[in-house]
Amino acid sequence: MVINVGPQHPSTHGVLRLILTLDGEQILACEPVIGYLHRGLEKMMERRPYRHNIPFTDRLDYLAALSNNLAICQCIERLGGVEVPERAQYIRVLLMELQRIASHLVFLGTFGTDLGATTMFLYAFREREMVLDLLEECTGARLTYNWVRVGGVPDDLPEGFGQKVLDFVKLFRQRIEEYDMLLTRNRIFRSRTQGIGVIPKETALAYGCSGPVARASGIPYDIRKVAPYEVYNRVEFDVPVFEDGDVWARYLVRMEELRQSLRIIEQVLRDMPDGPVQTKLPKIFKPPAGIAYSRVESPRGELSFMMVSDGGANPVRVHIRAPSFVNLSVLPRLLEGAKVADLVAILGSIDVVLGEIDR
Amino acid sequence: MSRQRAMRDTEYNPLVYFIDGLVTLFNGMVVTWRNLWRPKITVRYPYQRRPVPPRYRGLFYLKWNEEKQRLNCVGCTLCAQACPTDVISMVKLGKGTHAGVSEFTMDLGRCMFCNLCVEACPFDAIYMGPNYELASERRDVSLFRIADLAQGGEEAVRKNIETIERLLAEEEKAKPAHAAHAAGGQSE
Amino acid sequence: MIEAITQFFTQHPLLWAFVKAVVLASFTLVIPLAVIYVERKIAGFIQSRLGPLHVGPQGTFQTAADALKLLLKEDIVPEGADKRFFYLAPYIAFVSTVLCFMVLPFAPGWVALEMNVAVLFIIGVSLFNVVSILMAGWSSNNKYSLLGGLRAVAQLLSYEIPMVLSVLAVVFYTGSLSLTGIIEYQVKHGWNIWHPPIMIAALIYFICALAEINRTPFDLPEAESELVSGFNTEYSGMRFAFFFASEFANNFFITAFAAALFFGGWDGPVLPPIVWTFLKVFVMIFVFMWLRWTPPRLRIDQILRFAWQLLVPVSLANLLFAIALGVR
Repeated sequence: MVINVGPQHPSTHGVLRLILTLDGEQILACEPVIGYLHRGLEKMMERRPYRHNIPFTDRLDYLAALSNNLAICQCIERLGGVEVPERAQYIRVLLMELQRIASHLVFLGTFGTDLGATTMFLYAFREREMVLDLLEECTGARLTYNWVRVGGVPDDLPEGFGQKVLDFVKLFRQRIEEYDMLLTRNRIFRSRTQGIGVIPKETALAYGCSGPVARASGIPYDIRKVAPYEVYNRVEFDVPVFEDGDVWARYLVRMEELRQSLRIIEQVLRDMPDGPVQTKLPKIFKPPAGIAYSRVESPRGELSFMMVSDGGANPVRVHIRAPSFVNLSVLPRLLEGAKVADLVAILGSIDVVLGEIDR
Repeated sequence: MSRQRAMRDTEYNPLVYFIDGLVTLFNGMVVTWRNLWRPKITVRYPYQRRPVPPRYRGLFYLKWNEEKQRLNCVGCTLCAQACPTDVISMVKLGKGTHAGVSEFTMDLGRCMFCNLCVEACPFDAIYMGPNYELASERRDVSLFRIADLAQGGEEAVRKNIETIERLLAEEEKAKPAHAAHAAGGQSE
Repeated sequence: MIEAITQFFTQHPLLWAFVKAVVLASFTLVIPLAVIYVERKIAGFIQSRLGPLHVGPQGTFQTAADALKLLLKEDIVPEGADKRFFYLAPYIAFVSTVLCFMVLPFAPGWVALEMNVAVLFIIGVSLFNVVSILMAGWSSNNKYSLLGGLRAVAQLLSYEIPMVLSVLAVVFYTGSLSLTGIIEYQVKHGWNIWHPPIMIAALIYFICALAEINRTPFDLPEAESELVSGFNTEYSGMRFAFFFASEFANNFFITAFAAALFFGGWDGPVLPPIVWTFLKVFVMIFVFMWLRWTPPRLRIDQILRFAWQLLVPVSLANLLFAIALGVR
């Protein structure tokens, strides 16, 4: 039996279409169809001056817009040899980690709903709302923040922001305990996640998986540690790595990352120096000819931008390495032999964002 | 990097799993019970509204300068150049020190609310305000004209044009004699 | 006056039966309105929300408004559906629920049909529900519906067995197949729940009841995140309303049945019997709802494994236990 899941389906997390061949409840083959959200962003970027492209990246991984902003800005900074003031770097890291929490909370909520724990969705989004309130206060937007600029960030943190973040950190530590009690320790949840959708280490390497998906398969690979950017080499944090590679391990990686993000936030707020937040740049920004490549650890994995400049005002070529796209490519292999009910668990655990896959 | 093994469960044993299931289910129910009595977070939107933070990026406004009796905008088109999606178009009024705008249009249907235009403006003329209720049933209303954008509306636009035209006329009169002096005096 | 009415109906038993049928059918239609409202409120409160608020005071009439909306909606039959079965399925589900209510005593004498094999009758009639789900799933000409329907049948049939066995334990223990008899036994000897074999039977019954009325963690026949909406995906309007109503009426019934079997039915001090019945039912419904919004759902193989490997043997053993203790 061939069954069509998506592009309009409650648990494909966007407009992903999966053509499943079933034998009863067993999945024999899966063919993902992507492209329903294609906007030609890379081409659009080649037609515009460098700094005009930053808001477009908000529309890539719309659950972690700030990570995208940072990735493209780092790329342009490398291209033009722009220095970033220290305070701006700290602010960037702070916002990135808040963004990571927000993004992982979406994962947590939707993953819970996919498995039938609807209440988890509301709890996770309740806490995400607090993060969004914080980010809104700082950036002025709730989803498409566009709050990283070439050479820094547009504005300093608003007054009293640090204290509010610390209050949130304190509250959120308790809430994570609650999530553990409600979901992580739940027998049913564990039965549903353990041992399914196993990505062996070799497969993860072969497909180029990154982020939580790779780390759950035993690959200790986190850009924040491997190639530290901004001030990540000055803060202390652990990168959780699990050997098992199943849905359960991917879930645990993300839960642990929530805790680590809180640690980073506390350190960043403690160490943040005073100073300017943006480097002055000429009105028309023309980097010298060359190629630049930047990579950041977005909540979904290794997000990279490559830009080619010929010395003009517009980039000649832009390429985006979207972590979701690479991670999604493992899916057909994972689903062979899985059950229909596992489909949503596996897909949810990879945590794809279609805006980034289709670009 | 901290390498660890995920908490694994013992081999399937119906009874152990069942009892474990009951216990953990009860734990979960404790959590939901606790939340049953927590204050609710619903904001009943049309009746209640969240406060909008000062940096919120909503509908634009053109700043009214009470002292000079005109809009701050001088029609330099820096914002239009900074815009990635060509939202802004304007008609410049006059030139030189007293220049202003007679028409300033924004097509919010194209706008990403990215704040780049606000950052590009050197005259503090354009801001993003707290108004976020921009949905409409008609397509043509996404076009916001100067009277919709200016602080003070029609009245402000009329005064703005009056002031600028008066200043321009004065400048025109003063020009042949003491051009440099007049310009210096007014730009204070 | 009352005597006159009683006399009139004694003379016309057919008319009396008709009146009872109408009352029961409308009760089965009205009860879901209340249960759904309570469910939505509780779900809301558990999830830090407020639940329905706008229609009527605190949203009381929300479900009534929803029902009205469903009645006014277009009746859509998918192309290629097996029309006869598609039309019939919701009504079979509804009728099976009404039939269950028929033999349920709400208070002493408050029973539409006093039957000495009521328990057997209920077990038999409630199985119609399975048929209706299979009919709905299969006739919809929709793969999601079919999968949902097949899952539902596998699940309901597996859980029917331990459920019947645990009910049988009560029957053997009290020595009566009539619900009124079981309740009267409890009025005399104390509630069944306090007796060890029945305690286990009650636990098994509750687990099976969750499965029978498709609630988390056993709600996979209508697992919306996988199967859109399961067997009733293609239903809309009136027919959907009947499915929905019968599901929630079933919810009410299965707790009322539990109250009769384990918690002494109408038995209780001070308050009138009918109030006690409803009180017990609503406490149990609350627990069901509370439970519904807590755990994730199981997978179909896990559910079946659980039923056959644990519940069936345990309930069989428990049945022997109950028989041994119950024989006097």
